Amino acid sequence: MGRGADFAEVYVERTSTTAVVLEEQRIRSAQVGLVQGVGVRVIAGAKVGYAWSDDWEEAALVRAARTAAMIAQGGGSERAYPVKRVPVPSHYRVAQALEDVAVARKTALITRADKAARAFDSRIQQVNASYVDQTRRIAVANTTGRFSEDTQDQSRLSVHVVALGKNGERRTGMYGSGGRVSFSYWDGVTPESVAEEAARQAVATLGAVDCVAGPQTVVLAPGWSGILLHEAVGHGLEADFIRKGTSLFAGKLGEKVASDLVTVIDDGTVSSARGSINIDDEGVPGERKVLIENGVLKSYLYDQLNAKLMNQRSTGSGRRESFKSLPLPRMTNTFLAPGDHAPEDILKEVKRGLYCATFGGGQVDISNGNFVFEVSEAYQIEDGKLGRPVKNAILIGVGPEALKNISRVGCDPMPDPGMGICVKDGQMLPVGVGLPTVRIDNVTVGGTKVG
Amino acid sequence: MNYEQLAKKIVQRAVKKGAKQAEAYLEVGRTSSVRVREGQIEDLTEATSKGVGVRVIVKDRLGFAYTSDFTTAGLERVVDLAVQLAEAAAPSKLNGLPGAKDLGKRGDTGALFDPKVANLPGDWKINAALEAERAGRAQDSRVATFDSVSAGDFVAEVYLASSEGASGGYSGTYVYLVAVPVASQDGQLQTGYWLDYKRFLDDLESPESIGREATKRAVRMLGAKPVKTQQVPVVFDPLVAASFVGNLSQAANGNAVYQQSSVLAPHVGKRLAGKHVTLVDDGLLPRGLATAPFDGEGVPTRRTPILDGGVLSGFLYDAFTARKAKARTTGNASRGYSALPGIGTTNLYLEKGTKTPEELIREVPQGLYVTALLGHGADPVSGDMSCGANGLWIENGELTHPVQEVTVAGHLLQMLKDVDAVGSDLQFRGGSVGAPTVRFRQLTVSGA
Repeated sequence: MGRGADFAEVYVERTSTTAVVLEEQRIRSAQVGLVQGVGVRVIAGAKVGYAWSDDWEEAALVRAARTAAMIAQGGGSERAYPVKRVPVPSHYRVAQALEDVAVARKTALITRADKAARAFDSRIQQVNASYVDQTRRIAVANTTGRFSEDTQDQSRLSVHVVALGKNGERRTGMYGSGGRVSFSYWDGVTPESVAEEAARQAVATLGAVDCVAGPQTVVLAPGWSGILLHEAVGHGLEADFIRKGTSLFAGKLGEKVASDLVTVIDDGTVSSARGSINIDDEGVPGERKVLIENGVLKSYLYDQLNAKLMNQRSTGSGRRESFKSLPLPRMTNTFLAPGDHAPEDILKEVKRGLYCATFGGGQVDISNGNFVFEVSEAYQIEDGKLGRPVKNAILIGVGPEALKNISRVGCDPMPDPGMGICVKDGQMLPVGVGLPTVRIDNVTVGGTKVG
Repeated sequence: MNYEQLAKKIVQRAVKKGAKQAEAYLEVGRTSSVRVREGQIEDLTEATSKGVGVRVIVKDRLGFAYTSDFTTAGLERVVDLAVQLAEAAAPSKLNGLPGAKDLGKRGDTGALFDPKVANLPGDWKINAALEAERAGRAQDSRVATFDSVSAGDFVAEVYLASSEGASGGYSGTYVYLVAVPVASQDGQLQTGYWLDYKRFLDDLESPESIGREATKRAVRMLGAKPVKTQQVPVVFDPLVAASFVGNLSQAANGNAVYQQSSVLAPHVGKRLAGKHVTLVDDGLLPRGLATAPFDGEGVPTRRTPILDGGVLSGFLYDAFTARKAKARTTGNASRGYSALPGIGTTNLYLEKGTKTPEELIREVPQGLYVTALLGHGADPVSGDMSCGANGLWIENGELTHPVQEVTVAGHLLQMLKDVDAVGSDLQFRGGSVGAPTVRFRQLTVSGA
């Protein structure tokens, strides 16, 4: 601050990770690790200086502060900034830090998952399972006098299965679960249930037919399909893209960007959810934000820097993967509010179309709005009923156009099982998504078959 | 600090603590980067980092722990943790570090370190980024803004020691420049990007050229719209072809092959593509971004052809998988300090052909020239591929209007068969995977 900066912040992080991996019915490895470090950020106007180090020696910290302050050119006064601890909410209570749970209990989970997946069907040929948890402690102090701390545990089990059908056909199934939960979570959501779902997907898609390419009516199963929102609108509402004018949603506040049936919420306060945060990585409490209400764009997702430059307030969306990165506006748990259509009616009304049951992932270009959505388990819909499984389907669209084509929203809201990872600028973060059953008209479906 | 000595000390401590075999993999680095926007600095980042991963074998049991805490207590703790984890693990005869037979003689990497990059002044990066932005803006008035223009460098050191006789270290430099303009017309925004990433400063494309090319790529997409669903010849530009090649290499991963989870597994020794298709992983490629004397467990790197004149000739292995599959390691153990070695590629590339990209396009009566893909690409297990695509429509051998909101789909094995021409423009654009322009006889394009 001796150089005329207007904001400075110190971010300290200590993260311990445990990972256990199973392949070929054996524990392949168990590992634990510790990464700790500090990031010093200095802001002068719109300029940011950042220095990070995994060295906690005082000399290294002073060097980091000097480096970060290089962006401030003016003269200021060097002085101490008293900080006061800010109380933080509690959206997750983890009885025992996951780092303190014995590794043997974690390997037991994936061994059980392996057995269950193999027992599900004789066509299950390979099972790869992993369990990863983190206990992440963060502390943020800044020159506005705020000091806040949080411990963010997360636990995640994932199972990847290959089923072998006739003529060497191989189909994969993938499922996972988790959240900011105590280890006892796995007494309720058993590794068997996770493994069986992965195995079910792989077996169900054996014998799948080629996907017909071209526009179709699609029905999305509830839950994990919330990736659609994450890709089609979520990223485009992040304030850095809005401020820079690189998102097609820039300048559209108050405008109709989706059908009346669409209300999109990003909520960092959902109890024990994977994307929840007591505080973001700038020390701002997580919030529930209505982004789109009945089709009208209501709000963007702000971190502190973009909020300040845009005369707004932070929505508690400033997140970073670790002290090695600058915070960026990011999503937490993003979901579509339920409507009043019964899910069975939504399906019954479709004469011909595609039912999308499970999803691989997605990606978006926030400038032209093009998004894709990879469907790992899909079925033909014929006269309102599910028909044969379809392989290799992908949905593509332009965010606002796809949202305008949402013609039915089910009354069956469902969060995803807790396995989402979002990547932006190379930074990976745990996120949640959620969606009731939804029908979208006239979606371009990618496939190999013409006509 | 002498890190090579430190790695050896860690190994000695592990052996003293009861490890039959032990390995320390240490990384030390520093990085500096700048982003600019509208002629101003947006942010400056400087960092130093280090960490060590300790792998031990106790009675055929594997333990692994890592830390970034280099205090004496921190280093003692990481060794103890690794040994404790091993004691609690299940035994497997397959566990073990590479021995003398695999460690062998190292090949010649040539220079990996450029003092010009290591001593690059902060001003150079700021000026280069500003120059790229200026040139990009001057190239076309339809550039509305920039998402970012950034420049940066890394200096990375790796040290390794093991109880089986592996030891060594190397330092490398990296420098990069990226421009991401956004062009606007009639309410449509289109982004483009262009970048270069090299070990040596003199190899780096000029800031002016990066700015101009990025703008050209953004502007030419303005007015993009879907085309009708149809099966046509498809041409991948070198960036898109590189992502296809990267995808293909996932199916050449020795572990996926061993698990019968690769579409390539049953085809070893068979012809999968024409004679003009040669795909190579080369850990000793001169000036390559991933070039190194040894892999993540001390095994010398080498050149491994995956497709040799169209014939599937080999897969990629680390020591563990090789032991399991009764193969030899190919020096493809890839890792950072915070992970156990796993199979990865080094410098992976599709060898260039003889025709220019213009000739490849000129021979297409009607088709799609793809300049960006959205999605994960092909599934290495089933071989099915379906991706979102952006690009330009080819009509009578000429690039015409821009195309978006379409997908391209096919199957890896059929796509390999359908590679009917490979361009002369091989490039490593922003990474260690390289490819020239590639043309497929036919893919399904799905659109309106």
